[in-house]
Amino acid sequence: MVLSFFKKGESPIQRIGHETIAMLGDARHSFDLASTALLAGADPAAVGADIRLTDERINAAEQRLRSELVVHIAVRGGADIGLVLGYTLLLKKIERIGDQAKNILDLAEEGISLAGAEDVDEFIARRQEISQMYVEVADILATLDVDRAREFLSRSREMNTRCEDKLHEYMQSELPGHWAVPRAILHRYWKRIVANLAGIVSAAIEPIQSIDYLDGGRTDITDD
Amino acid sequence: MCLATSFAHCMASGDRQFPRWARGLVVIGLIYLFLSGVSALEAGIKSMGADTQERLFSSVSNPLVGLFVGLLGTVLVQSSSASTSVIVGLVASGAVGLDQAVPMIMGANLGTTVTNTLVSLGHVRQSNEFRRALSAATVHDFFNLMAVLVLLPVELLTGRLSWLAASTSDLLLGSGGADWESPIKALVKVPVEALKDLGGGIGLSGTGLGVALVGIGLGIVLVSLISITGNMKALIAERLERSMNRVLGRGGGLVAILVGMAVTIAVQSSSITTSILIPMSAAGVITLRNAYPVTLGANVGTTITALLAALAASGSEALTIALVHTWFNVLGIVILFGIPILRPLPIKAAELLADLAVRRRSVAVGWTLGVFIIGPLIGIAVFR
Repeated sequence: MVLSFFKKGESPIQRIGHETIAMLGDARHSFDLASTALLAGADPAAVGADIRLTDERINAAEQRLRSELVVHIAVRGGADIGLVLGYTLLLKKIERIGDQAKNILDLAEEGISLAGAEDVDEFIARRQEISQMYVEVADILATLDVDRAREFLSRSREMNTRCEDKLHEYMQSELPGHWAVPRAILHRYWKRIVANLAGIVSAAIEPIQSIDYLDGGRTDITDD
Repeated sequence: MCLATSFAHCMASGDRQFPRWARGLVVIGLIYLFLSGVSALEAGIKSMGADTQERLFSSVSNPLVGLFVGLLGTVLVQSSSASTSVIVGLVASGAVGLDQAVPMIMGANLGTTVTNTLVSLGHVRQSNEFRRALSAATVHDFFNLMAVLVLLPVELLTGRLSWLAASTSDLLLGSGGADWESPIKALVKVPVEALKDLGGGIGLSGTGLGVALVGIGLGIVLVSLISITGNMKALIAERLERSMNRVLGRGGGLVAILVGMAVTIAVQSSSITTSILIPMSAAGVITLRNAYPVTLGANVGTTITALLAALAASGSEALTIALVHTWFNVLGIVILFGIPILRPLPIKAAELLADLAVRRRSVAVGWTLGVFIIGPLIGIAVFR
């Protein structure tokens, strides 16, 4: 154990980066499972246990990584304060995304299922698109590719506009509430997930003081 | 600065900016410089003559004065590594006897804790942070104080600590220990002889030359130790961080002691190890019970510097006094950490002091000034 002090290994900050990406992988796993319960008719009780276990793993990882960030600052001094603050925000956003998968599961546990609905293909396509966004965000975090990050942010805004439009469409719908309300809520959850994914990417490329603020200095509340 | 830039900056910082092999060579050069400094110090004191030595060091024949001198000297240079190396030089020169040097070593051990106590005062504005930081810092103070309270009387009454160190020294050097000449000593003779020649060239001799050599030796010891610590910290920053993360993951106990020891041996400064613990404790990342054994390991680890200094000094007594430092800390751990009933005492005392200091900030300032400056000054004035 102590001999490992003398061995070479991955730098702690690189390890934090890799674990952050692993957390994102866990968050995607929860999202996919929760979506399966809602859109494909999987048993919510069966997937619920897995989602809650994954959520516990995400929360534990967030706490552990926060501690390691404090250690990093204690050892390295203030020079890396921007990095540490950026990671702190980023970890919180991933933890929130994990919670939002639980929100989707809550819908399924309420007895709502869109499996077999006439518009389910549209939902499945959007779900796949969002699931793919998790992978892209993980790639961006791994490569810290600024151009790719900007392209992703632009696409995430489009996706949120589409979710917003659908949300309004369901809210104005003449169809019964038990049909329109779950669809509206699901789009609201998706919008928040996409906004948090965009927030993670922003944390990677924007100055710390600008994260979560729009160009005019207004607060971006889409991820709340 | 965004994460992408910060990350790139972080990966380019520290040991990555300066090639590791080059930094390693610098450290080797600095160790040579440090050993030369110890040797110059010893040569300087020897040049002073018996009368001057008697005038300078007669006061430390009282063990309490020796204890306070060791403490104050360490507070002054903020490094027990430096002060214990000087004590090794004094013993090697014959100016200070082994029995006089033992309390000085204990005082030096106590004085080194002032650095993290001062670091903890930086958290004074936030009560909760301050409570955690001050207790993490003063647990080191209390452990060292208690170790002195237990081991100094034992040493004065029985001489068992110096006997143990002398026996270890004999074991390491063999029966001819008294005439032992370190091979390192021959290596560092060259710059010391050059300094003597230089002094002689400008008309210095006797006490004048001795004072000059002592001043230069002290300067070299201090500067080289500071530079060794800085370079080693940069060289092992990642390992240090990984080790601290492991302590967080595994908790306290023997592992934490060994991590504290390994880190301190590597950076040659217990203050670096213990001061890293203060912001971690203040943030609540590490508990006092888990930080405490790291501190104990740092106490043992820091004794490596005096052992290193003994390599550049003459005779077996230099090694013996360096081993007194090691044994004092090892026995302190065995007694105060190994005996379950005594283990919580430094922790409870540190928590009590921190609680008092949170209610009244002047308690913290009073503690720092009282234990590290005013108390020792009064002690020297009374007992000399």
